[in-house]
Amino acid sequence: MVKNKSKWKSAMLIVGFLAPALIVALGIVIYPIINTIIKSFQDPSTGAFTLENYSYLFTNKLARAHIWYTIWVTVLTVVLAIFFSYLLALYLRFSNSRIASVIRSLYLLPRFVPVLVAVYALKMVLSDSGLINRLSMLLPESWALHNFKPGLLYNAKGIILANLWFNIPFATMIISAALSGISSSIVESAQDVGAGKIRIFFKMILPLSISDVMIAATFVFMSNVSSFTTPYLIGANHPMMLGVYLRKQFSSRKYELAAAVSCLIFLFSSISAIVYIYTNLKEKAWERD
Amino acid sequence: MANAKLEIVNMTKLYNNGDGVKNINISVEEGELITLLGPSGCGKTTILRAIGGFNDIQSGDILIDGRSIINMAPEKRPTAMVFQSYNLWPHMSVYDNMEFGLKLRKVPKAERKQRITEMLELVKMPGVEKKYPGQMSGGQQQRIAIARSLLLRPEVLLLDEPFSALDAKIRQQMREELRKIQTDLNITVVFVTHDQEEAMALSDRVIVMNKGTIEQCGAPAEIYDRPVSRYVADFIGEMNFLQINGKTLAVRPEHVRVRKGTGGELDGFVRTVMMLGHYVEMTMDTDYGIVKTFISEEEAREYHKGDPVAMDFSKSFEY
Repeated sequence: MVKNKSKWKSAMLIVGFLAPALIVALGIVIYPIINTIIKSFQDPSTGAFTLENYSYLFTNKLARAHIWYTIWVTVLTVVLAIFFSYLLALYLRFSNSRIASVIRSLYLLPRFVPVLVAVYALKMVLSDSGLINRLSMLLPESWALHNFKPGLLYNAKGIILANLWFNIPFATMIISAALSGISSSIVESAQDVGAGKIRIFFKMILPLSISDVMIAATFVFMSNVSSFTTPYLIGANHPMMLGVYLRKQFSSRKYELAAAVSCLIFLFSSISAIVYIYTNLKEKAWERD
Repeated sequence: MANAKLEIVNMTKLYNNGDGVKNINISVEEGELITLLGPSGCGKTTILRAIGGFNDIQSGDILIDGRSIINMAPEKRPTAMVFQSYNLWPHMSVYDNMEFGLKLRKVPKAERKQRITEMLELVKMPGVEKKYPGQMSGGQQQRIAIARSLLLRPEVLLLDEPFSALDAKIRQQMREELRKIQTDLNITVVFVTHDQEEAMALSDRVIVMNKGTIEQCGAPAEIYDRPVSRYVADFIGEMNFLQINGKTLAVRPEHVRVRKGTGGELDGFVRTVMMLGHYVEMTMDTDYGIVKTFISEEEAREYHKGDPVAMDFSKSFEY
């Protein structure tokens, strides 16, 4: 009886300590989420339950184009960012050259440039009358490259390019940390028994770093599926990324539709969150005691 | 020298910071266990890594069975290397670890299994095939690492301080087992260590290194009994150094005979008497420095701090 009482007491203490955080979370995270989910199922004029908002998103030709476009741009961003980051991280891990050490100290720099500044800077360089174009004007007029127009803005190429600018440093940081955890003697002993570079990569380095690569990929996915600033500034008017589409619905006061778009973005994010949690929790056979 | 298993001829490897090894000449016979001994930074690992192919060399040659191997990549060399730690691939079971090299050599499956089972018997670790490296102790991991290397039947086995991360008792045991396996299989081994006791216990010959050059090369007893330089005398075993008339006299503690009183080769006073188990260590103050000797417990009862002591040296070196 006494024991039960003290148990109950310590449980209350824990609840007491957690309460402030819990209340804040309830107020500014959980409540709006629930509110948004409810709104997404409401009829704009009557407030009655309806699936109309979602069915619009999945049947309307324009809305469907936006969804596919968002998935396509995000997936391509993830694939390209992870590919280049992995290459860069491998180079940084296994090269002792001067260039590698310079890159090592500089590669995170893009992360420190505010999104807005970086996007405008990219515009200055990439736009059809930007720096690249100006430089090409210096070439003789007879050359094919004279007055070269990159054509990289206001389409998917521009968004993906800007996404890579932000995400390669981030993914490289995560993958580099994983690679630096692989001791040189692991690689050297594989070399010693007769494995070449390609085999070492696929048999040693990849299996030992794949879970961190997956984690980097889910982070890149989550931050890009809902991105707004970049596609808003250098994306096209059609098709548009869901973040921009959401804002458009919002400013046309279609709050119920906007809520449905929010829920859809949330759903995409949760899929990658599940991947993240799964990779994190999955205990590998060789990590078990 | 034509029948040497491993031969290093005039090898030089210098790093950008000036460290490295210069004009190294080493010849190892088949079935010999040779140790490279020296403090950290003396270049012993540099030599080992050059043999294994992990360091390229600036000049000289490395020959195995009379054939130069310096232009071969590590994966092509007939050598196998065991590192200080993290030898095993953590994501593979013991069996997969051992099978990896055999698979690369296209050894048939049944033979792979047989050879792995035999090798695990040899290192006294049967039945661990399914374990992962993380589930074994450091000593067990190093055993498997050595087994994995032996499995590929290398011409020369290279060991880079393989026991230095293990605790003293296990280290002793591993040493004995390695020596036994090495003599049973008659394999040629180059062993790197900074532990002089390990070098003495294990080797057919010891190469004492100092700042990138070979200081002395010989059988353990030879190096202990006839150190060619003050450096070797200091590094191997215990030694008293006395500065007398501009010369350095070196005497091993066991070569110092003591009796009470004065009139010896050197006279002094008892400084400390320390019981160290089955023997007693006594130090004495003299005009030329402190002298250490070992005496029995019985003898030790006669000496007290400050007593005059006469010393005679049954053997000494001058540098």
